[in-house]
Amino acid sequence: MLVSAVTLGCALLLGQVEIPEAAVPQAPAEAPAEVPTDAPVKALTEALKQPRAEAWAVQLAVPDAGSPRQSPDQRVLCLTLPPTPAVPSGQWRAQCDETKKECLVAPAWELDSEGHETGQPLDRVSMCLEVMPAELARDYRLVPAIAEAPPGWFRDERGRVLQYNFDLHRRIRVGGAWAPRWLRETEGRDDRVRVDFGVDLEWPGDPGQLHRMTLLDTELYLGDASSFEATLLRYDFRSERDEPLFRVTTFYGKPRRFDVFANLGFWLEVLHAEQVRREDVKADFLALGSTHVTLDLWHSRDLVSYVRVRAGPTVERDRTNGFFTLVPAAALEGDLTLDRNGFHHVLFGAEAQKVLLAERVEGRPLRPERLRLRAGYEVIALAINDQPVSLTLDGRGTWRDDLANAPAGWEWSAQAGLRFSLWAPARRNAPMAHGGKE
Amino acid sequence: MVALALALLLSTLPSPDVACEGRTDAGETFPTCFDPGTGWVLGAGLHLQDAEAALLLRTGILVRVVRTSDSKVDSSWFDSHRLFMTEAWGGARKALTFTGYEGLLRRHVDEGSLLVSLGRPVRIPFPFDVAMAVRAAHLERRVWEGPGWTLETGRVGLLLDPVRTNSEWGWLAVGPAASHTLRHDRDGTTHEVSPFTSLMLDTGWETRDGRWALRVTGLAGWAFDFDGGSHFRARGEVALEHVLLAVNDAPVALRLAATGVRGDAGLSRRNEGMLSAGLVVRPFGER
Repeated sequence: MLVSAVTLGCALLLGQVEIPEAAVPQAPAEAPAEVPTDAPVKALTEALKQPRAEAWAVQLAVPDAGSPRQSPDQRVLCLTLPPTPAVPSGQWRAQCDETKKECLVAPAWELDSEGHETGQPLDRVSMCLEVMPAELARDYRLVPAIAEAPPGWFRDERGRVLQYNFDLHRRIRVGGAWAPRWLRETEGRDDRVRVDFGVDLEWPGDPGQLHRMTLLDTELYLGDASSFEATLLRYDFRSERDEPLFRVTTFYGKPRRFDVFANLGFWLEVLHAEQVRREDVKADFLALGSTHVTLDLWHSRDLVSYVRVRAGPTVERDRTNGFFTLVPAAALEGDLTLDRNGFHHVLFGAEAQKVLLAERVEGRPLRPERLRLRAGYEVIALAINDQPVSLTLDGRGTWRDDLANAPAGWEWSAQAGLRFSLWAPARRNAPMAHGGKE
Repeated sequence: MVALALALLLSTLPSPDVACEGRTDAGETFPTCFDPGTGWVLGAGLHLQDAEAALLLRTGILVRVVRTSDSKVDSSWFDSHRLFMTEAWGGARKALTFTGYEGLLRRHVDEGSLLVSLGRPVRIPFPFDVAMAVRAAHLERRVWEGPGWTLETGRVGLLLDPVRTNSEWGWLAVGPAASHTLRHDRDGTTHEVSPFTSLMLDTGWETRDGRWALRVTGLAGWAFDFDGGSHFRARGEVALEHVLLAVNDAPVALRLAATGVRGDAGLSRRNEGMLSAGLVVRPFGER
């Protein structure tokens, strides 16, 4: 506090003192071995006591693409230097290395394409609360640099910041796709488009735990045989256990213990509605609630990517025929983020369902079955105002015999489209930018 | 089969200083000894009777207590309790047996003696331990025989053990037994008693690490109906258990059993022979 107050006072004092022109000092040949923390203040005090005869005509260049980058972890000082044609305000941000007697200095304002200062302040930088007097800066070698950027963000030589790392598990998404469908029983093709939207949330719990939630996950199919599928809420909890789930001891030969680790999780779905259309047949199903147990066969260290099996019951309302059913299901599924910056995503799954406790309905089995297959790929193609636009490719297949008076069989759909994502912050493990995108 | 089992047991007897703790590479310890008389039994297997195989399920609670006598010096009690033992098998001959309680309470003394109090008290060496076998609420229900059940309300055996081991790992108890049984069928309920007119055997042997366990039980003698008449019946069972591995320190054992019944099976007092083989897991069964 005292140091800050003294520094601020000195800065105010400097503002009223006419600083004589001085030449740029040469960097000292040898750096001191140890510098006390109040060294800048003492040096400034000494500098003010001794009138300088030489004027300081430093003309610092603006950074280019190859310039070093400031670190977001180090303290930033406000520095005012003599005006230059490129930086007429003379306002810079400095990060100094006391041992090297070197400061990385970046313009405090964004630059235009000609490399001249604009009136736009730098985005996503920490405030510089302390001032570095120009007199003090004379003792340092000043190196043009690019201002710091937070993890997952990249700052160019003009000081503009852009996001290059996206967490697509935290976003509000709206998309559309061309989604034709083929039914095995008919030769024709249903020309449809898909409109989809939803809200994805993800947050870590205690160490080794991850929560994921999807709200209003909706897919509308418009065109031939219009239909929809929507889920009000889906919640998913995964964890990595330090303790083995099973410890198996064998006794033949020397007794040995083998630890079997199993990472169990929980999956919940509330109010899943599905409307199915096949030619003239229409059916509505409303799953009131599903509770599944998950077992990760593999997951990434941060639990974001996984391959797992999932099984559990669902209470479903057959709205077409007016009764409740119990639908046990089992699935093998995966969700993989392929790169560290979250650009490439692969989804796949196979889920089998058996409808139990159904009443007899003319034209369909007493215990119908469903099998759903899905494989999808999403890649971020570009970002508009740091909001990613991704290309989606989907292949889906469904076999079902739960539609009365419709023959059992497969339907296949190939879907390709675009998706716009809002929010999508940088991933929690986003790396720092070092001279370019990681 | 008994001889084979005994031979196996003897060949696998560990040294007296058997270590009951293993150690992982990480330094964690795990048990390697188990108590065949303790734990919660959960088992499934195959039941074979008259060349018909069926699924067999088995459950119950085993408790074994070893304690020194409070009132008598140099004597110890080795008590084995079996609670709610239930066996059910499916197939064409669906049946269920349930035993509310069964226990063998054996008292071991270092120097057995008889006191003759006629005239001057005389102490005579008595080379037996004494034991009491108790069973209560033993229900047998055979669906395939039609309506009806058999309920042994109680049975008690006063037994002598000539082996006199001072551990829970071996015993041989033989003696007379009394019982009361109800048989209920379409014609009503009949009572049947055996007023110590049956001979009972309960013997067992276990390795010190508890990985092998053999138990042989038998009962033979005459039972009398309240409305007159008597009949001879006999029943014997041999069961061998071998711990294959342990899951979460709960032993998983292979159980082989053979049962023979003469004049005592079901409501119609049939003769029967049964074999069974299966796996038994016994949580909380570590020694």
